[in-house]
Amino acid sequence: MLAVGVLLMAANTIANVVGRFAFGESLFFAEELNRLLIILITFAGISYAARQGRHIRMSAIYDTLPPRPRKALMIVISIVTALLMFALCYYAVGYIETQASRGRVLPALSIPVWITLVWAPVGFFMTGAQYALTAVKNIVEKDIYLSTNVLEGYDDDEMEV
Amino acid sequence: MALTIFSIMIILLLLGFPMMIPLIVGAGVGFYQMMNGFGQMETMVQQFMAGIRPASLIAVPLFIFAADIMTRGQSANRLIDMVMAFTGHIKGGLAVSTAAACTMFGAVSGSTQATVVAIGSPLRPRMLKAGYKDSFVLALIVNASDIAFLIPPSIGMIIYGVVSNTSIAELFIAGIGPGLLILVLFSIYSIIYAYRNDVPTEARTGWGDRLRAVREALWPLGFPVIIIGGIYGGVFSPTEAAAACVLYAIILEFIVFRSMNAAAIYETAKSTGLITAVVFILVAAGAAFSWIISFAQIPQQVLTAIGITEMGPIGVLFVISIAFFIGCMFVDPIVVILVMVPIFAPVVKSVGLDPVLVGAIITLQVAIGSATPPFGCDIFTAIAVFKRPYVEVIRGTPPFIVILLGVSVAMIFFPQIALFLRDLAFGY
Amino acid sequence: ADTWRYAFEEALEEVQGKYAQKFKEEIEANSDHEIQLFPFGTLGESVDTMEQAQAGILQFVDQSPGFTGALIPEAQVFFVPYLLPQDNESLFKFFRDSKAIHELFPPLYAEQGLELLSMFPEGEVCMTTQEPVHSPEDLNEVKFRVMTNPLLVESYKAFGATPTPLPWGEVYGAMQTGIIQGQENPRFFLESTKMYEVTDVITCIGHNNFTTAVMANKDFYDGLGEEDQQLIQNAADAAFEYILDYQVALGDESFEKIKEAKPEIEINILSEEERKPFMATSASVEEAFIGMTGDKGAEILAQMKADLEAASK
Ligand code: NA
Ligand code: NA
Repeated sequence: MLAVGVLLMAANTIANVVGRFAFGESLFFAEELNRLLIILITFAGISYAARQGRHIRMSAIYDTLPPRPRKALMIVISIVTALLMFALCYYAVGYIETQASRGRVLPALSIPVWITLVWAPVGFFMTGAQYALTAVKNIVEKDIYLSTNVLEGYDDDEMEV
Repeated sequence: MALTIFSIMIILLLLGFPMMIPLIVGAGVGFYQMMNGFGQMETMVQQFMAGIRPASLIAVPLFIFAADIMTRGQSANRLIDMVMAFTGHIKGGLAVSTAAACTMFGAVSGSTQATVVAIGSPLRPRMLKAGYKDSFVLALIVNASDIAFLIPPSIGMIIYGVVSNTSIAELFIAGIGPGLLILVLFSIYSIIYAYRNDVPTEARTGWGDRLRAVREALWPLGFPVIIIGGIYGGVFSPTEAAAACVLYAIILEFIVFRSMNAAAIYETAKSTGLITAVVFILVAAGAAFSWIISFAQIPQQVLTAIGITEMGPIGVLFVISIAFFIGCMFVDPIVVILVMVPIFAPVVKSVGLDPVLVGAIITLQVAIGSATPPFGCDIFTAIAVFKRPYVEVIRGTPPFIVILLGVSVAMIFFPQIALFLRDLAFGY
Repeated sequence: ADTWRYAFEEALEEVQGKYAQKFKEEIEANSDHEIQLFPFGTLGESVDTMEQAQAGILQFVDQSPGFTGALIPEAQVFFVPYLLPQDNESLFKFFRDSKAIHELFPPLYAEQGLELLSMFPEGEVCMTTQEPVHSPEDLNEVKFRVMTNPLLVESYKAFGATPTPLPWGEVYGAMQTGIIQGQENPRFFLESTKMYEVTDVITCIGHNNFTTAVMANKDFYDGLGEEDQQLIQNAADAAFEYILDYQVALGDESFEKIKEAKPEIEINILSEEERKPFMATSASVEEAFIGMTGDKGAEILAQMKADLEAASK
């Protein structure tokens, strides 16, 4: 989904240029489509990033703690983050309901605005679930986990994702 | 209220929460206090979505994608080999080339984040191999990318020009002087760094090898042609140039060099998506946070408390510099310009300051703020792309910040740094 | 005493900002309420502030009816060319007396939770281009930046140009490098956004006058006592009368400033005769408007035309 979003965005933008030059016609929906894709990429991406333990954080103080309190802190961080993500999911659903009730429509694509937003609550929920699972994993297992499938410590293979 | 919010945010940040959490909690507390409860949290979600709406943001993932393909394939290396063939024997040559490349790419792309990725991804491994320390390399990339704000075209200057009713053409020209001055100072620092740390140089390359390196780089040299020629030639907008680079990179690596297959390109797209998401969720949360700061009229309160109306021109310029610098440490630069320029406008007028000078100074502060902890967008981008810890990314920053602040102070006392070219071009 | 918040789509010293300042002045002079002003961008874009007003976070909001199309399709009637008077006297009369504005639109805004307080003109919309424009033929092959609105696209197609969508932030740069060769905006905006720096010719064909609607959140407004409602109406009326003359003067002043900053600029106010071929194209845009809005739209269009006629007498 994530990769497809990025590829579509590139294709859509190029198509607009080609359209303008080859056919003298711009694609009026290009900007709206990109807007829709950027929402998809962002919200599909945050849960993927959560699973990979790639969300940006400042770990300087955290890193200096001994293992036990560090593990406890990681559990607290995961639980609080999960709860906030679920809360945002809830409010995002509310926001979409409000949008749907007003019936706003994208001028060029003429699809309802609320449809473009559905990735937001999904992304918040999936991200919250990832952090909740991280908390569980840290409680159950002996090691400290940054995310459900990443152990603590930055890897050296830094150019790979 | 402001003090409570900022304290909570700093504590959460230091504890090691994901960076979006301090921003979300900061915004959430602000909403709770201003709206007397959780009744209006939907507007917070609205601002999340508004934060990632600007059309100019699209260029960021596209440039990331193009740079990622170039780096994983052969294009980037061939280009760098060519640069090295000419500058490898000079002490600090690679660092100076990196700074210059950041300035040039930033100038045309207009996006500091895209610059961090596009120039940083290929050049960082090479600089590490050449013997530069990572802390220096990261700080150089992040700070040199911010020169992009000052060299035209600059979206920050366009917005300042519209909000303050100042000539955008004059602003563009006024940005060039300080931008080049910073590049020169960064270069001098890089050379000093290279001598002090005795970064090794390579043997001087003969003209035969140089020619060979240029020939190897012929295909990839199409990238600067697409970007610079395309944008200045009126073929593309910067965003479209980014998409064209993606297409060209895929053609080169997939068809010409055959260095990547479809699966590798798909993987690269996925990685681009991840980096984009990690940075954009912070842009989104930052938008919600700056909305509530703006709604609560906190900048107005703070500035009234300082007593700005009593000051002379130099004092006003100092307050402006500090206010924009601090503002941009926490909030998206564009929002800072939109919110604070109107607040300062009456004072700027009453003490008779040249709005073009003020614009150049503000743009510089915006640039510095984006590269400055805690919430600098370019720092986030560097962390996401290079997978290095926060502290490591900012460790080498202080000398660069000192240079940037030095230029800021110099601009206040010697406005000609900004206005010389403007006066020349417009015959004032 | 309450604090009311008012967001608008322009800078403090532009037309909407001036209206808002006058409105604030009137309210604060005649009551102990306070108004906080939020210029463009400080609380988000136009769509954002509109939603915030509907949610009741903002008490007052400005939005050009053209932009309200996603919410109230009929409001896009203001994009149909040549529906507003081209001379100032008739224009003022139109905005004071229009039945469409004062009777047909308020219920449509009420359905969206908004009390329509006023609609006012911001100034004649003119084009800036690289080459002189005296007839639709001169717009042939010109890539003309328009907002992503079907009616504007239709209008410029009918004028003979190639409508090209572009985010506003990219327009200045795109004009400089030549991706596009034309754009339109109200007179004062051509000056404040420095569009004249990157184009050589300004052409006014009298096809439109940029219009703005001032709205209050309906629940807020209905919940007020009669005295406060009257206070708001009086302030809106005072600001409306003030802005009518102000925007005309500002438009003239802007052109003077442009001439001063760029003496070689060519400003062409097309004659009645030259405007005719442009006016002849409006039928296709009207058709598109009715296609989008159905019977209700047709009723409003007919009323606008009747109002135009009445104002021009
Ligand atoms: Na730039
Ligand atoms: Na910052």
